[in-house]
Amino acid sequence: MADADISKRVEKTIVEVLKVDPSALGGDQRIREDLGADSLDSVTLVMALEDEFGGSISDTDAKSLATVGDIIAFIGRSVQEKALA
Amino acid sequence: MNRRRVVVTGIGMISPVGLSASECWSALLAGRAAGAPIPAEWSRYTVTTSKIWAALPPINWEAMGISRIEQMQLDVSGMLTILATQEALQDAGIGTSVVDAKKHTFRLEGPEPNRCGVFMGTGVGGVSSCLGNFTNHSFTAVRHAIADQSLLPPMPPRFNPYAVPAMMPNAMSALPGIRWSLRGPNLTFAQACAAGTVAVGHAFRSIASGEVDLALAGGAEYVGDPYGGMFRGFDAARTLAAGADWATANRPFDRDRTGFLLAEGGAGVLVCEEAESAQRRGARAYAEIAGYAENFDGYSIMMMDPSGTRIADMIVAAVQDAGCTPGDIDYINAHGTGTALNDEIESAVIERLFGAKPIVNATKSLTGHCIGGSGGIEAAVTALSLAHQSTHACHNLENPIRDLRFVREAGPCRIDTAITQSFAFGGHNAAVVMKKVG
Repeated sequence: MADADISKRVEKTIVEVLKVDPSALGGDQRIREDLGADSLDSVTLVMALEDEFGGSISDTDAKSLATVGDIIAFIGRSVQEKALA
Repeated sequence: MNRRRVVVTGIGMISPVGLSASECWSALLAGRAAGAPIPAEWSRYTVTTSKIWAALPPINWEAMGISRIEQMQLDVSGMLTILATQEALQDAGIGTSVVDAKKHTFRLEGPEPNRCGVFMGTGVGGVSSCLGNFTNHSFTAVRHAIADQSLLPPMPPRFNPYAVPAMMPNAMSALPGIRWSLRGPNLTFAQACAAGTVAVGHAFRSIASGEVDLALAGGAEYVGDPYGGMFRGFDAARTLAAGADWATANRPFDRDRTGFLLAEGGAGVLVCEEAESAQRRGARAYAEIAGYAENFDGYSIMMMDPSGTRIADMIVAAVQDAGCTPGDIDYINAHGTGTALNDEIESAVIERLFGAKPIVNATKSLTGHCIGGSGGIEAAVTALSLAHQSTHACHNLENPIRDLRFVREAGPCRIDTAITQSFAFGGHNAAVVMKKVG
């Protein structure tokens, strides 16, 4: 899967869960502080990412995902390692 | 304080015969019954005596207003509740505005939120989610040790962080309360097959007493787990219809009945309003809810008291609560499950109290038995029968067990006053009396 596809699908999932303006999304934006996710939203986002890409994301990995860029990079690595589809 | 009058102004319904109130009503009048063989994969776990049920039609949740994210968070029973409520509110002509796009919440235009209640019934709440998460929980640690992975039962890909809110029965009333910002009393009733009727009755009382001005009332159920576990529960209790031919097996009040046809799920929700405020906003009223009563057999957890004494007491109390006598009742939407004992007792009580005057039908003969959803569905059917002055037939009734005025053909009929009654595992009895409006 191309990196651009991964970015697009991650961003689509973030927009779907957090209902934020897609045009305002940037790699260094923080999920909680900048995009307004509360703890329940963060749990939901992980579920939605698992659903979008298949497989599962551990709690430890989930906690390390602070920004949009972190998520894109993590999903990219996981797809490469075939941990996610 | 005088008791305030209560009217039904909106109806939402999902059942094995249709995914909206109008679809269900058309199917009922046309005698289009639901039924199917049970899923073949359930035979992996056990061989059940009954092999038929009433499956829901395929549902495109997203198209009906439940997002992909919500589908991950909610049990099917909760989604059915939301969809039936959404339809009932639209049908009542009550507009909504968005409160929070992220949370997918709305506010009703008009009613004061603190004076709006939600009263929902369910038999088992989110049992399907419970079983799925329990299976994931039980097998995750050992699944890699099982050489043949095809032996594993199907399970959700994760232990869902929303497992608890998905399985808790009170989600049935909480979900509509949250989605439409209704902040008055919010109650879920769990009187099994009578739960929806109890919920409608309590909504009626809450409006009549002045506690609230508007109430969402009804019930929902979903028992279609991927293992057939809930089906097995009813099968093991020897309550289900026998034979392989679903088209003829579901036959309440017939001499050849063998049990009920379990429905995969269903929901019926009414918008109930104080009559004067409904009239002020120009709402159409399907029917007036005029009386309610409930009581308890105190006899057996799984069997009706054969004497029918408390059922008869309860029906008389409901009729009196509506300011009527049994002679005033024109139409009885019976509990009518199709089990040997229930139909025998219910028909005897009807004969004793009403004789052969009122027309009688059993909605379950067409929809199957939607358990906690059935009371809401049957209240909806009763209100529609009053509004349209017509009702559906008792499907498959060929040789009635008693000489009552069973509806043999759908069509016009004069109904001024009607009763819908339900009896439940546990021994709960409840009935709602409705009257024609205008």
